[in-house]
Amino acid sequence: MNGFLIVNGLSGLLIVSSLLVTLAGNPANSARFYALQSFILVMLFVALAGATGSGELYLWSFTALLTKVILVPAIMYRAFRRLSDPAIGTGAVMPTALSIVGAAVALILCFVVASKVTLPAADAIKPALAVSLALFFIGLACIVAQRNILKQVFGYCLMENGSHLTLALLAPNAPELVEIGIATDAIFAVVVMAALGSRIFDTLHTLDARQLTSLKG
Amino acid sequence: MTAMVPSILPPLLLIGPLAVALFLLTLPWFRESLPEAFATDTGSVTLLERIHLGSIGYVFLLSIAALIQVLSNGAISAFGDWLFVDALGAVFMMLIGVVGLMTGLYSIAYIRHDLESGAIDAGKVRIYYGFFSLFLFTMLLAVTANNIIMMWAAIEATTLGSAFLVGLYGQKSSLEAAWKYVIICTVGVAFGLYGTVLVFSNAADVLADPHQAVLWTALVGHAAELDPMLVKLAFVFALIGFGTKAGIFPMHAWLPDAHSEAPSPVSGLLSGVLLKCALLIVIRFYVITVGTVGAGFPQMLLLTLGLLSVGVSSLLFFVQQDLKRKLAYSSIENVGLIVVALGVGGPLGIAAALLHAINHSVTKALFFCSAGNVLMKYGTRDLRAVKGVLRVAPATGLLMMGCALALAGFPPFNIFVSEFMVFMAGLNEGYGWIMALCALFLCITIAGLVKIVADSVLGKSPETMAKGDVGWKALAPLGVLAVLVLTLGFAVPQPLSTLVQQATTVVMNGDSRPVVAAPWQTYDTVRAGGQLVTGSLSQTEISK
Repeated sequence: MNGFLIVNGLSGLLIVSSLLVTLAGNPANSARFYALQSFILVMLFVALAGATGSGELYLWSFTALLTKVILVPAIMYRAFRRLSDPAIGTGAVMPTALSIVGAAVALILCFVVASKVTLPAADAIKPALAVSLALFFIGLACIVAQRNILKQVFGYCLMENGSHLTLALLAPNAPELVEIGIATDAIFAVVVMAALGSRIFDTLHTLDARQLTSLKG
Repeated sequence: MTAMVPSILPPLLLIGPLAVALFLLTLPWFRESLPEAFATDTGSVTLLERIHLGSIGYVFLLSIAALIQVLSNGAISAFGDWLFVDALGAVFMMLIGVVGLMTGLYSIAYIRHDLESGAIDAGKVRIYYGFFSLFLFTMLLAVTANNIIMMWAAIEATTLGSAFLVGLYGQKSSLEAAWKYVIICTVGVAFGLYGTVLVFSNAADVLADPHQAVLWTALVGHAAELDPMLVKLAFVFALIGFGTKAGIFPMHAWLPDAHSEAPSPVSGLLSGVLLKCALLIVIRFYVITVGTVGAGFPQMLLLTLGLLSVGVSSLLFFVQQDLKRKLAYSSIENVGLIVVALGVGGPLGIAAALLHAINHSVTKALFFCSAGNVLMKYGTRDLRAVKGVLRVAPATGLLMMGCALALAGFPPFNIFVSEFMVFMAGLNEGYGWIMALCALFLCITIAGLVKIVADSVLGKSPETMAKGDVGWKALAPLGVLAVLVLTLGFAVPQPLSTLVQQATTVVMNGDSRPVVAAPWQTYDTVRAGGQLVTGSLSQTEISK
């Protein structure tokens, strides 16, 4: 039972780290906080593996460490650190306080939804399940309420972390190949988005999504 | 579910375009070790075209071979059932093979023109053909996947594979379109991932072997044992996610931009095939959901979103002045109509949806490529500047006129046959007012299409415009597509109606053989409801 307590406790840290990713001053710092969040996620996978006795989850923890803590943040840090558009500041559309309140509201709503899930596997980890869903929606909010196109990429990463956590919580014995498939796809997605974002900056000299409005109607 | 026959064809089908894509995209890293002809992109354009031709020809032949095998043996599978082609998947695989071949052939003339006009350089020609094959591969993977996580990954990969095609020209507008495409679709498909994860997690709890929980065929077999609340939630997520990729309102925002900014053959492929591949995944989730919670919930969602798609897009279609943007909105409208037909349900509704997907695919690919001819001739997509196409480029003008009439749903073109089936299915299932609204919205579209014909195809051509059509290499593949549009309008060939019937059986998860035919088609070979029907089919018989 203690194992599940650790899982639920660590999941709370995921919300904090996702706010750090979203509210960081520039994309390079977001990459650092994203690595931190992924590390917490890996810890959570290890705790969950211990609590459920799932051998697959230990493997997941290892692949997640390689891809999410090292590879993806490194790609983004390298690609984004040379790109800077001072004109848009942090790029946040909403004030910081409002973002935090929004995240709290999302979390409460997700708790309500998670409480209705009747799967036996979800009984002990409902707080973490609610967090995984909230993480998904915080990621979505990061994309919608963000003018900096590079930081929008982190929104996708948060959504992906949320899905990944849900999968681990509800199906800890999922085949390793499933997890590898998701992780690999996420790497390609980040590479393509980083490449496209860099090209937009090189061609248009802006990272502001509001400048990308020549196509309308 | 019927038993699956092991076959080498699904992996063979995938490996060809993947190998070509990897070869072309990584060529700069090892070109020194290759013969002289590959030394530079500029010197190897003809060679690149030949490799591309090999790739699209390979995909076409293998997809037809797999289709024949499915028609004669039932579903085929490979790699421990991770890959499979059932009749439902075969419909979409056939579209990739046929439309991929035609838009691929058309690409040769189109990309040559872009190269000669300086819109792209030789390096971009290599990238174009490389990503074209990669795009085909990702779509083929989506339609041959039985593993639901792989299905999601493949749909996500279609975005990543085609984003560079959308942004090929590197201009402000095309980069903007590519960015919106990637962000909206990736985020959308993340919803698809969540839905997929929910279904899988749920099934992993129910099924003894978690490895089985990942297979769509196993999920359909055990759908009744899944948790209704989770499956409902999963369907909503999947519909939002894969519906984004299919261009369903209100998740369609990426579509007009991407379709209008991409090179025209790619626009044809996006609209004709990619949207349908995403719809296939929606259909696969629909089948699971119906098995768990019944048809009411998913059909209500599909009808609502389908009707909204038809309504909003018809209005936006009418006001557009950009030809390709107009066609993009028409795609949303037709996808909406397919979704309405799925929402109507019943064997006839499902068959109508599948037949309309096929017909729209062929017609829209033809229209986008014809728009490509207009772009080559006039250098613009602005309908206020495109006048008198019939006088300037008679063959292109005729093709555009035919496409417009076909899209407007006039007989004897193919769209009429499937739209007629959609309406019959709707009336048959008691959705009269929804069909009336659809008919109203289609009238707005017809007005817009008539305007294209009256102003742009038949209008007075600019005096400075040189007369003369585009070359035969650009016209020949369009001629083939035009023949298909007409042929399918006169009669649905028996192998195709059999395929659609078998695919309907997969969706209905039980034997059901609706009549798939043009209203005037004389039958003595098509079986309806298990019985041989002879003579002309009346509307009532069709609706049965």
